[in-house]
This record gives sequence, C-alpha cells and structure tokens, in this order.
Amino acid sequence: MKEIAVASGKGGVGKTTVAASLAVLLNSRGVKVFMADADVDAPDLLLALGGGKTVLSMEVEASRKAEVDNKKCTGCGKCLQVCPFGAMVEASNGKATVVTLMCEGCGVCRLICPADAIEVKKAPTGTITVEETKYGFMCATGKLRLGEHNSGHLVASIRNLARRKARDMGSEVIVIDAAPGIGCPVIASITGADYVIAVTEPTPAAKRNLERLSRVVEHFGVPAGVVINMSGYSGDFETALKKWVTHELGFQVLGEIPVDHEVVKALVHMTPVVDFNPEAEASKSLMSIAERVRGEVL
Amino acid sequence: MRALRKKKLGTPVLAVTGGKGGTGKSTVAVNLAAGLSSGGLRVMLVDADVDGPSCALLLGVKLEAGEEAKTFLPMIDEKKCTGCRKCVEICPEHALIGLEGEVPRLFEELCSGCRACQMVCEPRAVEESGKAIGTIYTKNVGGIRLVAGELKPTEPRSPVMARATVLHAMSELQKGGYDLAIIDTAPGTHNTVAQALWVSDYALAVTEPTPLGAHDLRFILDLAEELELPVGIVLNKADVRGGLKDELLTIARERGTSIIAEIPFDKEVFHSYMTGIPVVKKAPESSAGRALKYLVSSVDKMLKGGEI
Repeated sequence: MKEIAVASGKGGVGKTTVAASLAVLLNSRGVKVFMADADVDAPDLLLALGGGKTVLSMEVEASRKAEVDNKKCTGCGKCLQVCPFGAMVEASNGKATVVTLMCEGCGVCRLICPADAIEVKKAPTGTITVEETKYGFMCATGKLRLGEHNSGHLVASIRNLARRKARDMGSEVIVIDAAPGIGCPVIASITGADYVIAVTEPTPAAKRNLERLSRVVEHFGVPAGVVINMSGYSGDFETALKKWVTHELGFQVLGEIPVDHEVVKALVHMTPVVDFNPEAEASKSLMSIAERVRGEVL
Repeated sequence: MRALRKKKLGTPVLAVTGGKGGTGKSTVAVNLAAGLSSGGLRVMLVDADVDGPSCALLLGVKLEAGEEAKTFLPMIDEKKCTGCRKCVEICPEHALIGLEGEVPRLFEELCSGCRACQMVCEPRAVEESGKAIGTIYTKNVGGIRLVAGELKPTEPRSPVMARATVLHAMSELQKGGYDLAIIDTAPGTHNTVAQALWVSDYALAVTEPTPLGAHDLRFILDLAEELELPVGIVLNKADVRGGLKDELLTIARERGTSIIAEIPFDKEVFHSYMTGIPVVKKAPESSAGRALKYLVSSVDKMLKGGEI
C-alpha cells in the first residue's frame, strides 16, 4: 500500500482540489483508494468530495492541561514566572489561573508550586471520523479543538486509522490532503509517505514557500513532484519557475493546471472538477497529472 | 477571557486572519498597513504566518540579518549528572531517554523547551543551550515597521515561533511610537493563530464566497468568540460567479457580526502580488484598489472611534 501526501507551503493554492481530483480519477480507473484529510484545523476535503456518511467516530485525548485549585493557591506567582507558554495568568482575585488555549501541559507549574495547588490532567485534542464518500471510497478526517497545539498528534492518529482501515479493505493507495505550511502537522503528514505532491502557483510568495517546503521534504527523504496550479497568467515568471523547480529544487513538474472558472464552479457545487466537468481544461490537466503520479508511485 | 489578557500596551492591535488559506489575508494586511501609513499613521506590520510568511514579498523588500529565535534546550553536564533519571521521568515530551546510572540522551526534535528537566535535577547538571527554531526580521519599509517571523524549515514548533514573533513585536510596541499594529496570522485555527489573536483587540476575518471559505470562517469565528475578540468579515473575490455570499451573510448575522468590506476579483491584485507593490499604491483607482481604500478608511474610523 502506498501513501501520497498533497502539500503546499502557501495556503489556498489548490491542495484539496488536487487531492480530491486525484483520488476520484484513480478510483474511476479501478485503483482501490482511501483518503485522509490531514488539515485538521480547516478540514475541507469532505466538502470538496460532496460530503460523507460517518461510519466511525472517535475522540482523541492526547493533550494535557494544567488546573489550579483555587483553595490551595496562595497567589505567590511562581508558576507565572516559569510557564514557558504564557499560559499562567493572574486572575482578579490575585490567584493563578490557566489560559487553557495557551497551556501545553508540560507541568512545570506543578513542579514549582509550593502549595501543591496544580494538577495536570488529560484533555481532548480533537475528533476523528471515517466517512464513506459518494464515490464509494472512504475518507478519514478529523477536527482539532480550536486553538489547540497537538495537531501533529492528531494527524498521526488519522494516518494510523486510515492505514488500518485501508489495509483491512485492501486499498492500494492512501491520498493525504495535508495542511498548508511546513510545521508539525505537515511533517506528520509527509513522514513515511511514498510520495509528496507539492502544489504551488506562479507567484513569488508561493515560490518562496515551495522552497521552504522542499527543504522539509528533502530532510525527510520523500520523493516529490510539483503541480503548478493557476497557470497561464504570469508568462516569464512561470517559465522561470518551471526551470527553477527542475534545476534548483530537483523535482519534476508533474503538470500545470490552467486558471479555469470550472474549478470555482466545481468547488461551489462541492464536486471535484474532474467529475463536475471532465471536459474542462483543468480536468484534462488533472487527468494527465494523475497518470504521471500513478506511473511514479503505483 | 479578555480580562485575563495581560496587556497594557496602549497601542491597538488588529489581527488579519480568516480560517482558510489563500483567501487574501496578507493582501489585506499589507494594503491596510500601506494605506494607513500613507494617511499619516505610524503602523507596525507583524507577519506571524511563520510557516508561510509573505508580507515582505508583498511589500517588495528582501529581509536580511534577522535575529535568531531560540528556545531552551537542555545540555547535561556529564560530570555533575548522577544518572538518577528524574529528568527522564519528568520530561512531558519523552525527549530524554536513559537507563539508571547513565547520562540521559536528548532527542532534540521532541524537546518543547519547558525546562522541567532543569527544575527537577538535584545536582544541577542541566545547563542551558539554545535551539534556534527560526528567525525574526525587522525592517522599515517606507513608513511601515515590518516585524516578520520565519520558522526554520524542518522545525515543527510553529506555535512557539509565532509566540516569539508576537512577543518581539509587542515589546517593541510597548516602547511606544506606534498608532497601530497589524498582525497577519497563519491560516487555520490552531495554536499558531491563537497566539496572534490572543494579543489582538480586533480581528478581520478574510474569506471567500465558496463552501470552503464559509466552512472555515465558522471555525475562526468560534475561536474568536472563545477569546472574546470582536471580528469584522472581509469578503474577498466577492463577485465570483455562483458564489455563496448569502451563506456568508447568514453566518455573519448568526454571529452578530457583519461583512465590513467586499473586495471584487481584480487582476490588479494579481499584478500587485507579482510586483510587490500594494494595490492601494499601484492601482488605487482599480475596483479592488477602491475597495481596499474603503477598508482602510473604515479601519481608520474604528481606530479614531476607539473601537479597536
């Protein structure tokens, strides 16, 4: 079983569109597909696939949060000084109180507290579900609690669940829709994957953030190819970008997806563009990209 | 929650956020900074999207000679260490591994810099060494003071880097001399975003009229509500054919907020993005330029009215 992660340094360049279309295309060509939405703080993949029917749901409780016992707290302020995350603040009564959003649960406050007033307790990180899509394949997805830290942990849990279910079902490939950026959830999405599709667009900001992503991808030793989305508008810049990707980054360009209003229409209709309008220019590009990825990975 | 924020800055802080990626957060932040600063305000622009920073590029400047942001990393003095394993047992991230009688081994990438190991070590064998997790750049661009944080690629701790960036900016603000700070946040609703919203007085949520934009807008409004942070919605690419503006209006009404500006789809935004000159300067009379100038004047009014 192979795992393909769709990532991008910059947000909003089309990861979800590429991931959903790739899965739908592979599925329609008889490849047994499983999907995983690893963008746990803005999980949009199911929306792009037209929704799902929940077949499994579970809570993940991997976070820890400090709690102050008001009766025991003397208001000495030591915990405020040592908290590395700025999560301990003084309440109006002069006692320490925890800003749950900021607390990473490291427990140094508990260590320093002379009054033994602090406890560190397990706390919910988020939820994970497995959904059956209208295309017949399954999609594991999750939602991080608002403002939480542990996104990498939740992504790892989603990938583990996806792997288990995919293996049971005899799936050949898991397509992972990663979060934007290069931090913890992205690292958790690409480590151990067989291939990374890095989506970008021909703008300076997207190029810069593709370069940052490429350094992470290389560090973790995952082979990668680049998809240039929203192409056709920036002439020389785009020509130079393609050369730069091939020669400087050393990744192959898997294809270019032209700016196409059908992509937006498809999004509004919550259907991957390759299904919404297979004749659209963007769909044709996505089909050739899917074939290349299939040749590279499967 | 608001009462708990230990903020005695005296300078208003405005966050530009939005939930979904690529909706135009940085475009809005940069144009607001440029517009307000041309109007005579002393503006600080903070790029707290430490995973994918873009403010400098959008202002057409190169960042150089930044300051390393470091977190605590333990360094164990082998002569002093008694191999008692207290640090190994206490480490919440399991970053220290070792058997009884051995000097523990550190797995750097797991360390959160919390110092628990240092606090429990009786022979005081845990010394401090710094771990660089990114760089904070500062630069004066025209009338704008830019503070930009960049996470080091392969380093996972974006929230810690965002926090370092925000704290750096806030300590500069505290010295005075600014009328407003604008923070450009990361996409999403995780802690990297929360770090920026925590110090803010008002947030603009930039979204687009698609199901994904609407879906993620709900999340960011929930997070803002948890922080008791007032929000105004900025609708970008507002005139997309078949767009879901009605759904966004409903969300706004349900949450007791409103769409305070609508920016139409305009190729001038793209040109500005390519050239690094804000739309309000490059094409002030284009349709997006006028919409952004309207947003600039709305924010200016809110500032003068004490709403931010």
